[in-house]
Amino acid sequence: MISRTVLHAVISAATVCTIGALPATVAAEQFPDQPVRMVIPYPPGGALSVTGAVIATAAEAHLGQPMVSLIRAGGGGAVGATFVAKSRADGYTLLLGDPSINVIRPVLEDLPYTADEFVPIARFTHSPFVFVANKDAPFKSMKELVAYAKDNPGKVVYSSDNINGWTYTAFEILKREADINMRGVEFDGGGPAVTNVLGGNTLAYAGVPSVVQDYIASGTLTALCVSDTERYANLPDVPTCVEQGVDIKWGAWIGLFAPAKTPEDRVQRLRTAFNALAEDDGFKALMKRINADLNYLDQPAFSEMLSADSKAVKN
Amino acid sequence: MFDTIIHAISELGYWAVLSALGGLVLGVIVGAVPGLTASIAVAILLPLTFFLPATVGIGFLLGVYKGAVYAGSIPAILINTPGTPAAAATAMDGFAMTQQGKAKKALHMALFSSLFGDLFATIVLLSVAAPLAAIAIQFSAPEYAVLFLASLVLIATVSAGDSLKGVLSAIAGALVGCIGLDSLTVAQRFVFDVPELLGGVPLVPLIVGMFALSEVLIQITSPLSEASAQISRTVGPPLQRKEALKCLPTLFRSTSIGTFIGALPGLGAEIACWVAYGIAKQRSKNPQEFGKGSLEGIAAAESGANATVPATLIPMLIFGIPGDVVTAVLIGAFIAQGVTPGPLLFTNHASLVYGLFALLVFTNIALIFVGLLSIRSFSWVVRIPSSVMMPAVVVIAVAGAYSIGSDPYDVVIMLIGGVLGYAMRINGVPIPPFIIAVLLAPQFEKMLRQSLSLSNGDFTIFVSRPISASLLAGFVLFILLLVGKAAWSKRRAALPL
Repeated sequence: MISRTVLHAVISAATVCTIGALPATVAAEQFPDQPVRMVIPYPPGGALSVTGAVIATAAEAHLGQPMVSLIRAGGGGAVGATFVAKSRADGYTLLLGDPSINVIRPVLEDLPYTADEFVPIARFTHSPFVFVANKDAPFKSMKELVAYAKDNPGKVVYSSDNINGWTYTAFEILKREADINMRGVEFDGGGPAVTNVLGGNTLAYAGVPSVVQDYIASGTLTALCVSDTERYANLPDVPTCVEQGVDIKWGAWIGLFAPAKTPEDRVQRLRTAFNALAEDDGFKALMKRINADLNYLDQPAFSEMLSADSKAVKN
Repeated sequence: MFDTIIHAISELGYWAVLSALGGLVLGVIVGAVPGLTASIAVAILLPLTFFLPATVGIGFLLGVYKGAVYAGSIPAILINTPGTPAAAATAMDGFAMTQQGKAKKALHMALFSSLFGDLFATIVLLSVAAPLAAIAIQFSAPEYAVLFLASLVLIATVSAGDSLKGVLSAIAGALVGCIGLDSLTVAQRFVFDVPELLGGVPLVPLIVGMFALSEVLIQITSPLSEASAQISRTVGPPLQRKEALKCLPTLFRSTSIGTFIGALPGLGAEIACWVAYGIAKQRSKNPQEFGKGSLEGIAAAESGANATVPATLIPMLIFGIPGDVVTAVLIGAFIAQGVTPGPLLFTNHASLVYGLFALLVFTNIALIFVGLLSIRSFSWVVRIPSSVMMPAVVVIAVAGAYSIGSDPYDVVIMLIGGVLGYAMRINGVPIPPFIIAVLLAPQFEKMLRQSLSLSNGDFTIFVSRPISASLLAGFVLFILLLVGKAAWSKRRAALPL
């Protein structure tokens, strides 16, 4: 009935494979002496993964070892972050993080990791947010949006990404600063959020320039203001939010983190490598090509920024 | 405009054409290996394209995409292991045909349907992309909610035989689909403090396990009789022209479905194959054949799935919105070239776009030869005796599951899927409703909640929006037809002779 040979063959093959699939132990003499993994906590295709791909490709020259992107998407970034937080703190597993994963959500939510489980290495990009509106919306500037929202509390519907995400936080700050009442619909990601404001299902959205600037240029979306201390270089006609009467100076960034218990000398080695990378002309050119706003912050400054942000969120 | 096109084609050069062809071949290899999917391949190959000229790099990725979606049907047919989730529906009838000694016919049908679907959708892309995209952009959560609900109900009808078991299967799938971190409320569902489960149950290892591993388990416990085993080891005669032509209406219908689904942002081949299959079964003159080796079934599944490939490029090129995971990565490829897909694409980079269109047509034609070659290369697999085949399938399944992200978690899911699939099969519980529900139920829920969020809790949003209202009306009509048909055939059966 059951052929013994088949049964035995199958069981042995299965056992061999499953054991072989378990991770091997690592013994490092000179760091790094094997490829370094950079975990990308979002599904492929988003701003983070493209920037991550550029960093990974260019980093090899400075690290001496290839850098491999590992995508661990899910839970809005929580899966990837938890993976790195709980991984072996040997400097070979890094996280490409952002404000949502590393600052805001650990404070506000009950996640399987905390912000303290990471040590920052460097910040690569920093982009302000551009608030935009659908071209047929009843407001054409931030001032008009605020006025309209005050006259029609609860009627303005805007596209949001996910709770405590980039866009969500931008609008929370706006609502608090301008003291207005608006409704956000969480579309679980920047892509659907943009689609919906383009299609007129929602009236407004806030995104980084690389995402929205083409729509602004072609007129399909109206730019309201940019949340920075000065006007954005590629969008000189867009006023800052402060100019429009709303004090919002918050932006999104992408940075590299390691598990907190990583030995100090390895952290410093990584720091040196990435400092050199940031000066690399080839890297700078690539970053420009993908419209990533390279704004490098070395570790001490980055740590400072993080703790300041974290305090701000707690309030 | 025509001179721009001619100019763009002449600009292409040897490298772009060669790289598209190379991508196609690589894609076929990737697709034929269970566990490796188009999305993984494209994501890994993305950085390579940074330093290549745009037509070469992106043409390469497009070739990989196309090849992978087609080639998933090969292991689906030969060893009941879909090479990509898009080929899961093909495995239903494809493997049945292999067991009947008709593997070659099945493989030919899969190739023919893929070519048909791909060509049709490419023509749509080239001709009516802009108006189609303008309609697609108006689709928001309410429309998607109705579509997903309709698909869920439709797939419940796909299961042969006992519909109660089909519904049970779908409910189980819906519950499994809920596992994970709910993004709208950050509530953790069914996670049980296992961090890996925060991201939910991944579809690819689940499918590999439920199809391939369950098959191995079934073969161990109730192997085919010697006679049946003999039959299943022959490839059989090739596809006859008559048989292919008979499936033309199905092909047209399924291709249209696939094109439509692909053009909607966010939906891809893994949904289209089932919806096309389900509707084909509804409209077929021989619905009872579906699942037992129906050429129509293969035709529907493959043409529906492959039509989504060019179709997902529509929202990507016109609006810069990804149609599925692969197009999301393709957008990254464009951005890395300094080109942003979206409204300015045709104005600023017309020659790139037309060059890529030409490459799409070229790869469609090239697929004929690459496909035939791959069929010839893989057909000998059926002649392998099961005592060698089954362990090999186990190895492939484990390796494939691990290759996704070098994560043992995926292997565990695959193993669990195998046991679950086995348990379902020996109890006559159909697998398709489970898989569809895992895929669609959480999406339906998300769209429902987003719709209510948009309308501030008002349920009438589904009927006040014109598109969603018409979709809903169509759905209700469809249900009425279904019920009517069932009642009618009951009446006829009850009539005295």
